[in-house]
Amino acid sequence: MISELFVVIYAIIIIGFVAWNIKKGSFVIEPSKLVIAIIILSIIATIILSRNIDIYVTIRSIAKILAGGIMFAGVLPMISAGIGLFRFGDEYGPNIFYARNHITGVIDTTASLVMIFAGLLIFRLDLVAVGFFFFILIPYVGNALANAYYYSYQRRLKE
Amino acid sequence: MIDALVLEKIADLTFFFGAFIFMIATAFAGLGALRLALKGETVTSLMGVSALTTAAGVSLYIIQIIFEVEFARDTAIALLILGSVGTIIFARLFRMEEGE
Repeated sequence: MISELFVVIYAIIIIGFVAWNIKKGSFVIEPSKLVIAIIILSIIATIILSRNIDIYVTIRSIAKILAGGIMFAGVLPMISAGIGLFRFGDEYGPNIFYARNHITGVIDTTASLVMIFAGLLIFRLDLVAVGFFFFILIPYVGNALANAYYYSYQRRLKE
Repeated sequence: MIDALVLEKIADLTFFFGAFIFMIATAFAGLGALRLALKGETVTSLMGVSALTTAAGVSLYIIQIIFEVEFARDTAIALLILGSVGTIIFARLFRMEEGE
């Protein structure tokens, strides 16, 4: 019962924090404050819990809880991107392509960042490697798509 | 006081639900990408398919992590890497065909 209650409260806090940051204007999180707060809280929790639990088990469990939190943080941008892809139809004109390109960029970026940080926290280096490679490739994909659309649109205008 | 078993149970449950809800959100974004892939013109379809491969790849990777299905990881790596590389190549091809 305690663990289920913890998961629900933890998810509500993280998703609410992400929503508050998006409403405030920064995309997902404000990294400096959040990272410092998470590191300090993790160290305090490790010190408190490692008094009567093995230190290795404590660190592994806290890292896993943080990885779950990162996945909770990725939920809201993914749902927002899905809603945006459904909402932006063709009635907004030909330049809506660039907005859609931005939205698919949000999907790619969120996915790759979640893969990198969750992989680091659960000690899965294959996940980190694939996520990092994907993170490098994302800007090239967006640029190539926008370039292809621009030239095809110019050609249609000439015709 | 919290003992090791309770702490590990809390960590496992948090990670499981985080991964599961993230997978559902990714599937929702994948539905939007699928609509984009089926509806638009050629380059828009390419963009939708690219986002769909991302969503499918990440979902498969999460399936491998939480359910320990080993072959899902290979499929996910192939989808993520070949999807983005193929998108770049096809976009380049469209640009050369259309622009030059």
